[in-house]
Amino acid sequence: MSPADHDDGAPIAPGSPLARALDGYGVPELPAGFADKVLAATATRPAPLPELRRTGSTGTARGWRLGRRIAIGVVGFSALATAAAATGLLERVGLPVPSAGKVWASITGNEPASKPAEAAAAVAAVPVDPAPAALAPVRIEGPIDTPEELGEAFRRIDEVRTRRSELRRQMLDQRITREKERRAAAGLPLPTPEEETRIRQRLEEARLRREGGLSERIEARREELRGRVESGEALTREDIVRPIREEQRSLQQRQKLERLRRMSPEQRREAVRQLPPEERRALMEAWQQRRAQRLGREAPAGASPLEAAPQIAPEGSAEPEPSRSGTTPAEPPR
Amino acid sequence: MAAPMADDAALAARLAARDAQALREVIARHAGALNRIAYRMVGDAHEAEDIVQEACLRLWDHSARLAQRHPAGTPAGAALRLSGWLKRVVTNLAFDRLRAGRRISGEEVPERADDAPLADASIETEQRDASTRALVLALPERQRAAIVLTYYEELPNAEAAEAMDMNIKAFESLLHRARASLRQAFAAQGEAQ
Repeated sequence: MSPADHDDGAPIAPGSPLARALDGYGVPELPAGFADKVLAATATRPAPLPELRRTGSTGTARGWRLGRRIAIGVVGFSALATAAAATGLLERVGLPVPSAGKVWASITGNEPASKPAEAAAAVAAVPVDPAPAALAPVRIEGPIDTPEELGEAFRRIDEVRTRRSELRRQMLDQRITREKERRAAAGLPLPTPEEETRIRQRLEEARLRREGGLSERIEARREELRGRVESGEALTREDIVRPIREEQRSLQQRQKLERLRRMSPEQRREAVRQLPPEERRALMEAWQQRRAQRLGREAPAGASPLEAAPQIAPEGSAEPEPSRSGTTPAEPPR
Repeated sequence: MAAPMADDAALAARLAARDAQALREVIARHAGALNRIAYRMVGDAHEAEDIVQEACLRLWDHSARLAQRHPAGTPAGAALRLSGWLKRVVTNLAFDRLRAGRRISGEEVPERADDAPLADASIETEQRDASTRALVLALPERQRAAIVLTYYEELPNAEAAEAMDMNIKAFESLLHRARASLRQAFAAQGEAQ
């Protein structure tokens, strides 16, 4: 903005030529009867139209409108939630919907007799038996120190296992059904009844194989626990739960080793290199232990399993032996 | 100034009660200023009279709502200013008339009927008035309103901005441009003469 422009926009000074010119703009007076004319016009003036917009920024009307909207929102949400629960949509996206009985039990404080997810852990931890007397005549009080209490604990664990197994079977059925529906919707060929039977048989065999191995281990552990109880030892929660956890860890480690075994040597080296140091060390120790055990079984009596275990696997072997530095044999020494 | 504000709320209540005397009081108090604004905006006495009459009648129509929102004896009632309300209505009505008909423009300054006896002095005065009217009426309508409200009616910028439904910054900018335009037109007029 130039100085000249600034001056142009400045207030008009009284007495200046421009002010004198503007002051010459006279205004004629209103006619004498103007007020009467206006008053006469009020008599013939039509009534004003009502307001188109509601003015209620304050007052009770606004509260009622707001309350009505909230009520409509709540009712709408409830209807949608009920519809979603009724059609099984919530369970499909992983939101559990409790049954009316469970809700009532949680309100009245009478918990249902069985809680599949917690029953196994509660066996030894809860001193007072929560199960109904009809289902569990033996009460477990404090640590498990009698064969009857141990039997009852095993019975409950078996109950939970059976329920979980049934649940898994149902989920499998649902997945097969969904997959068939998806294929039908996509126009893909569906398996014939014979093929489906074969698939189900294979799955069932795999399940039996898996559960069979597990049952053997469980039975061995139970035998050990029975022996401890018979010898007068009182079992606590840790005695039952810890071996299960260790078993799980061991199972996970075996699965990892199995995955590594299936890889090509290059892939295996890369996979081992990418593991965190602690995990790599633990895996290596497990590997050496298993190998030592296997070789120990094969080695002549008196030979140490560790001495019998070769440090470097032969070229092309399916089981490479990691070095003590944590690297695989193909890696350059660090 | 507090007393007139309180009076305005009471006046609105009386108007809402259809008190004709209250309307007479309003006309007596405000019609002159409203007429000046209207006339300087549209440049025609009859149009200006129509605008002022329409503004008074709108006040009559809206008095019930005004009285409800600004009850007498309350802070809201004390805040009611009928003069400001009427000036805003008059300004908007003037804009409406100018936009609807475009009857008035810089090139077509209406001349009032000359019913005075011919004389050199009156002719000279008439010519001077006409040139001044032409000067003001040549401004764009919003700039003209800014000059009319602040220069002729001597309203503070805030009140003038309120009468034009503008925020103060925008109004000051408009007023600055209006003065600049007026000065340029005045300079051009002087050069032409």
